[in-house]
Amino acid sequence: MERIGTFICTGCGIGEALDVEALAGVARELQCATCTTHPALCSPEGVALVREAVAAGTIDGALLVACSPRAKMAEFTFDADKVAVERVAVREQVVWSHPPKDEDTQMLAEDLLRMGHTRLAKTQFPKPFAETIERTVLVVGGGLAGMEAARAAAALGHPVVVVEATSALGGALAASRDALPEAPPFDSLHPNRIRDLVEEVSHHPAIRVVTNARLTRIAGQPGQFSVDVQTDTGAESFTVGAIVQATGARPYDAGKLAHLGYGQHPDVITSQQLEAMLASGTLRRPSDGQLPSRIAFVQCAGSRDPEHLPYCSAECCGTTLRQVAAIHRDFPSVETAVVYRDMRTPGQLERFYAAVQNHPKSFFTRGEVAAVGGNGRLSLTLKDSLLGNNVALEADLVVLAVGMVPNAADGEAIRALHDAQRRAQTGESETQREEARKLAEKLAAHEGTEILNLVYRQGPDLPALKYGFPDSHFICFPYETRRTGIYAAGAVHAPMDAAQAAEDGWGAAMKAVQCIEAISRGEAVHPRSGDRGIPDFFLQRCTQCKRCTEECPFGTLNEDEKGTPQLNPLRCRRCGICMGACPERIISFPDYSVDAVASMIKAMSVPEEFEEKPRILALMCENDALPALDAAALARKPWNPWVRVIPIRCLGSTNIVWIAEALSRGIDGVILIGCKYGDDYQCHYVRGSELAHTRLSNVQETLTRLALEPERIRVVELAHDEFDRIPQLFDEFASTLEELGPNPLKGF
Amino acid sequence: MAATSVLLPSADLRQELTRRGAGDVGKCYQCATCSSVCELAPTQSPFPRRQMLLAQWGLLDRLAADPAVWLCHQCNDCTVRCPRDAKPGDVLQAVRSLVIEKLAFPAFLGRFVAKARATWPLLLGLPLLFWVALLGLTGHLGVPADLQAGWAYEQLVPHVFIYGVFFPVAGWVLLASVVSGRRFWKLLGSGGQRTGSFVGALAPALGEIAVHRRFGRCGAAKPRQLGHLTLLWGFVGAAVTSGLLIVGMYIQHLAMPLPLSHPYKILGNVSGALLVVGGAMLVGNRLGDRKASGTSSAFDSFFLGVVVLVIATGMTVELARLADAASFALTIYVVHLGAVMTLFLTFPYSKFAHMLYRTLAMVHARLSGVDSPR
Repeated sequence: MERIGTFICTGCGIGEALDVEALAGVARELQCATCTTHPALCSPEGVALVREAVAAGTIDGALLVACSPRAKMAEFTFDADKVAVERVAVREQVVWSHPPKDEDTQMLAEDLLRMGHTRLAKTQFPKPFAETIERTVLVVGGGLAGMEAARAAAALGHPVVVVEATSALGGALAASRDALPEAPPFDSLHPNRIRDLVEEVSHHPAIRVVTNARLTRIAGQPGQFSVDVQTDTGAESFTVGAIVQATGARPYDAGKLAHLGYGQHPDVITSQQLEAMLASGTLRRPSDGQLPSRIAFVQCAGSRDPEHLPYCSAECCGTTLRQVAAIHRDFPSVETAVVYRDMRTPGQLERFYAAVQNHPKSFFTRGEVAAVGGNGRLSLTLKDSLLGNNVALEADLVVLAVGMVPNAADGEAIRALHDAQRRAQTGESETQREEARKLAEKLAAHEGTEILNLVYRQGPDLPALKYGFPDSHFICFPYETRRTGIYAAGAVHAPMDAAQAAEDGWGAAMKAVQCIEAISRGEAVHPRSGDRGIPDFFLQRCTQCKRCTEECPFGTLNEDEKGTPQLNPLRCRRCGICMGACPERIISFPDYSVDAVASMIKAMSVPEEFEEKPRILALMCENDALPALDAAALARKPWNPWVRVIPIRCLGSTNIVWIAEALSRGIDGVILIGCKYGDDYQCHYVRGSELAHTRLSNVQETLTRLALEPERIRVVELAHDEFDRIPQLFDEFASTLEELGPNPLKGF
Repeated sequence: MAATSVLLPSADLRQELTRRGAGDVGKCYQCATCSSVCELAPTQSPFPRRQMLLAQWGLLDRLAADPAVWLCHQCNDCTVRCPRDAKPGDVLQAVRSLVIEKLAFPAFLGRFVAKARATWPLLLGLPLLFWVALLGLTGHLGVPADLQAGWAYEQLVPHVFIYGVFFPVAGWVLLASVVSGRRFWKLLGSGGQRTGSFVGALAPALGEIAVHRRFGRCGAAKPRQLGHLTLLWGFVGAAVTSGLLIVGMYIQHLAMPLPLSHPYKILGNVSGALLVVGGAMLVGNRLGDRKASGTSSAFDSFFLGVVVLVIATGMTVELARLADAASFALTIYVVHLGAVMTLFLTFPYSKFAHMLYRTLAMVHARLSGVDSPR
């Protein structure tokens, strides 16, 4: 921006704590177009000052020296095509967190103003957006979740195409006669409504159903996915805006459960086999065709077992309760005995459990099946019973409530397999080829598992997260996957029962619709909703190192044969991880760039006398760390006055140049505060925080070589609610730096 | 690891428990709310969660040897707080009736009384018929023509009949109780080591019973405690009065009937009043908060009914004599004798037997060290 207007608010105690005149003097030194102070900038009169300056064309950048960008958002939103806004949070980061009328406090405020001014000066308007966006939603899989997603998207006014692999809609639930209770008092079986749903979806004017279909190719980006489908009768192609993957789950292979007697005794069956019997109205022991007098159900068959499925499959308890209730209704002479580890009854199922449990022919007990034996009548040995001893249970028929495995393909693993296969042929040395062959062997199970067949550099399907489900951190980011515009719903997303799957379908469909709406305005989706900036790649200087294409968590970048990145801007979430990765620094956003942040660091004043004024640069993630900082200020927790905070989009966007810049400027230490990473990650860009940790541990090694102490850089994980740790973090780091002494580069 | 015991999840046992007022045992999902709210459960071996599980598993043998079944006073704090409405208080009550039947000597009498819902007319009618027959055959079913005002009951039914019937009855009941008691004591012994003398532990146990110390800690069933205590002391008073009267008649040679101002008479009437008040409290309690008082099975109601009948006829007998209504008095007196005989004869088989089993369980708990209530 060229014409920057500085607006200093003196409300909320700012005017009392700071020498506002001196602060305005700093702004004037920076040759601002205007410099105004106002006792309440967020008041209608204050906001009008900014509006008038914009309308008059006096300014194209507004530097609001007031409160945190997370406060007064409605008041300080202006026409983004006419004015760029930068908020300098002197209220939170200076006035509320430091002693008033203090020299250090004043220096901090002046530094923050200079830094904000620098960032704004480096900000450009986003390029106008003029792409054609398709509004159709593609639903992959016509089970319960898929059909509900289709209904939801259609209800929101979007055309829908449902692609189903089999010959009919209905999915896994079509096999059962009964459904779990869906309405109060939630204590008895309901008829399975899936056939009504199939009717509705099949005849819905806005929904087109393609059965016996296989996705052969999905190319492009959200709003412009081009989809190729192969059916029995031929091939077709169409364009869709967003995709809901609802490919469901399949039962775990009971053949692997020999320790529970499957395959060893004919009268040990799976719940799916029992379902088929119940649907046909015949309940018979496979061995002799007789009606069993007692059926034992074994819960967690394969689930919650590190040898098989380490997770809870979520629906087996409900399925068993449903089957037990159906048996009591249809075969009143049959006793049932359920052996569980824990009965898990999400939603309102607890009431149904209580009702089923109280049936006179019902029996439930805790235990783990240690052995299944006996000829004729089977005998189950249960260990870890509620009285701690081993107990035995006899039954004529044993039903294994087997867990579920998602019908998902691990896109990244498939890509890794293909890469390894290629390297096994073209590797430079025999060792390399041998290693590649070994890796390919390890990944062989992924061969031919493609479902979506995405044309993405990072693999043809969604990346799998925990346990092979393409989920994301559900609490923080419901329905998200790591491919923008593609949302997982139902049992492929996470283990769940029918009620959850139906809701999941709606949730994913709403995310898909939200995505189409956002990108049709040229805006990013979650978490930088509304951001219209698109990264710019200065490709003349690209060295084809492929770091950006490999590290983008969302598969935004494809590659040509040479490895040059090809941007799909509509897939981009604006995290800047590519920018942090790029050693050539050729990636930048209109309002966020390596240069802008480096210039902000340069704009900090660094006193040469360490004893009095050491300086600490804090790069803080805007998603969790910055709100925590605001919360610390709100709680009036004072922190160290040597610290200068620069908000960044993600720790992963940290370019190493910034660290080098800071240290060479004489800044004594750099602290990076980002989200938690690992299995229960809280990083809003999935792996940005983790990448930053890896990159910075490399930098610390480099520092050692340069005779600088690695302790001058610290990387910290901070959760949203850990605001009370912040003052302590800064103080600890400051005392570490004091021990180290001044940055030797100070003053050069 | 402990030895394997066979699970018998039996629909029959569930039915049996249902018949005895514990139809909700299957609802228990072992959260242990019951054990944590129970004021009586010893810290080291809490109940009734474990007993709920044993009942679900159908392990009646284990329950029969478990003193906790009897340490429970059915306060129903558990039942009131149970999140699943499994009514542990009722389950333990039903289990107690099953144990009484299981340990009964002879077994057929146990079964006969256990089916009180069907057999109560016989249980009440046969002793009554016996008395009618005895008195009829000996010519005592009518009021003597020469009866003077101020008559005594001996003039209607000579005491020799009372002694002749009730001493053998008492002997028989004592025998049956000793047999059942020994069986129970042996079962308890199989579950835990005892150290110390029986009598040494019996005395403090009786002391506890005398003031209903445990019962007093109950929450939900607090009102029942007072009724039960009143009734207990009413019976004790009545028994002492009977003893004193024998002394009075045969050693002191007092003339019957005693005047109302005589200390024995006063003791008898005070006891009677306690019985009436206690009985009324218990009946009122049953009719009140059903959850706190527990489900009334036929087994419970039969026992309470007989007690009430004994009290009502006993008091009426006295009033009828004071009113000089000899003919009416005789009728009621015969009914009273029948009811008392029913009460005595069913002692080892009806709910009355809790006196025996609970006392033994309390003694056992002291001797085996499981008893350290909070």
